Amino acid sequence: MAPSRILAPLCMALCSLIASHALAYEPPRTAGGKVNFSGVWQVLNTANDSLEAQPGRAAQVLRDGPAVPVPVRDLVALGATGAIPPSIGVVEGDVIPYRTSALAQREQNRANWITADPEVRCYLPGIPRANYMPHPFKIVHNDDSLFFNYAYAGAVRNVALTDPGPAPLDSWMGQSWTRWEGDTLVIETTGFNDRTWFDRSGNYHSDKLKVIERFTRTSDHTIDYSATIEDADLFTRPWTIRMPLYRRVGRDEIMLQFNCVEYVEEMMYGHLRKEPLD
Amino acid sequence: MSRARFTCLFILVHAVTASAAEDTLPRMPWGDPDLQGIWSNATVTTLTRPDEVDKLTLTEAEATAVEKYGLFGEEARREIDNLPEGDLQAGENVGGYNAAWIDAGTRVLRVRGEPRSSIITEPLDGQIPYTLMGRGRFYWQGYKWMTRHDNPEERPDGERCIVGFGSTGGPPMLPVLYNNHYQFVQTPSEVLILVEMSHNVRTIRLDSEHLPEVVRPWLGDSIGHWEGDTLVVRTTQFHPQQNLRAAIKHQVYMTSDSVVEERFTRTNEREILYQFTVTDDSIYTQPWRGEMTLRTAQGPIYEYACHEGNYGLPNILAGARQAEKE
Repeated sequence: MAPSRILAPLCMALCSLIASHALAYEPPRTAGGKVNFSGVWQVLNTANDSLEAQPGRAAQVLRDGPAVPVPVRDLVALGATGAIPPSIGVVEGDVIPYRTSALAQREQNRANWITADPEVRCYLPGIPRANYMPHPFKIVHNDDSLFFNYAYAGAVRNVALTDPGPAPLDSWMGQSWTRWEGDTLVIETTGFNDRTWFDRSGNYHSDKLKVIERFTRTSDHTIDYSATIEDADLFTRPWTIRMPLYRRVGRDEIMLQFNCVEYVEEMMYGHLRKEPLD
Repeated sequence: MSRARFTCLFILVHAVTASAAEDTLPRMPWGDPDLQGIWSNATVTTLTRPDEVDKLTLTEAEATAVEKYGLFGEEARREIDNLPEGDLQAGENVGGYNAAWIDAGTRVLRVRGEPRSSIITEPLDGQIPYTLMGRGRFYWQGYKWMTRHDNPEERPDGERCIVGFGSTGGPPMLPVLYNNHYQFVQTPSEVLILVEMSHNVRTIRLDSEHLPEVVRPWLGDSIGHWEGDTLVVRTTQFHPQQNLRAAIKHQVYMTSDSVVEERFTRTNEREILYQFTVTDDSIYTQPWRGEMTLRTAQGPIYEYACHEGNYGLPNILAGARQAEKE
């Protein structure tokens, strides 16, 4: 056997070992050695518009027009700012596996988006939606705490570091606890009420919802994020969404509050003014 | 190495080791004192001193009496349970809360072990030193809240679920009738304080600069630094509507340009000494100061979803509209 026939594969194996070692990302760690997820993060996608792929369209809610669908009356004035860009979606397998009996409610949610989406009213966003809204969120992570602070509605999420057992009561943001799979942070959340949605397209859940999220740091500026949704009342099987989270840096690293409660008072209570505005 | 330099080094190392051995203060891995955890400032002691008391420090016997018979003592807390029995008739006063909701603390505030008659330490009379103009603005805003129900944004911030009642979110962070919990988390560059009511988070940026003046966050804009083992925080640029902070347990008037300096010192495993100074020449004759003790509390803090269940605000407005018709 010629030496090259042995050396060549050996060299290739060695080279690939060196290459994979060089490419392996070494993330920042807490004093205790766990991967540290601290930072200000945000998505760069339109998952909050729709988890599933969708074509671009003139508004979140349309009505029949003479030739093509047009925005419903309440959204006409928004023009291009109310238009929805196309997206390739974030659902693995593309389609959310609703039970047939659960689809009608999704369609009803869609048609009534303006009044029915909890986001329109500045209600707490729930999980996983909080993570892919068009607002930043901050993670404070060290060996004794894992704390999420969302700009939107000042939502917070305090993640227990050990299994706290069943949630004592239902809540908008649920009860979260964490465990590790290697360097991947896994957060399991239950104890939800049934009032939050997954997106502006009416995708929803029941209070049986269980969410298992996985956070893996892939670079100083990215997290590979996925969330598996279990809710046997509405879906035929668990399903998963996946997307990168991006770290805001430099001057953008600051996170300002978006306490939208004050911004929705006219919409929610304007009709109760002594002199309602036009 | 010369002998002198060696000796010097030895003394230095010895001194560092000795001080490390004495240092029982919990610390973060990067050396800052560890303020993390869940804390409570619940106490029956009020912000201002009751009229009948003329000194800051109480004896233990006086403290026990306040805990039983004081404004928020054991007897009074029973009276707060004033919900009428059965269905309310039209026009009947709905009363207050029943006792199950109330968690105003059971003990007199003790600072460094010393029982206190008020949170305010200065001026010496234990009262907020309003100027004539400041007092006028305080009463005028209070009068508007008591009498105006024309528009949602004219109602108190707490009623609107924007921040908690009174000055629970602060700063200064003052105790209210219930939900007196705070959670602190920290990094080398920030300390975050979650206020239980209404899940407001105040982010204290360390060694940083204030935001552009047009940005006026609820709970103000907080900049901090460590002075030794004390976290010193300066807050100003308050939201213009966070002026009167009125709760059952305290009433404070501030402006959007008031300046609050807070000092957080972790004194032992179970306590943070919390000191504050409020300065605003436009409404006070002098800066006023207060001291409290934050004590560790059992977690977790449950979700306080105020806005999501705010039946109060629309019903107050609807009630006013109905009253106008009658």
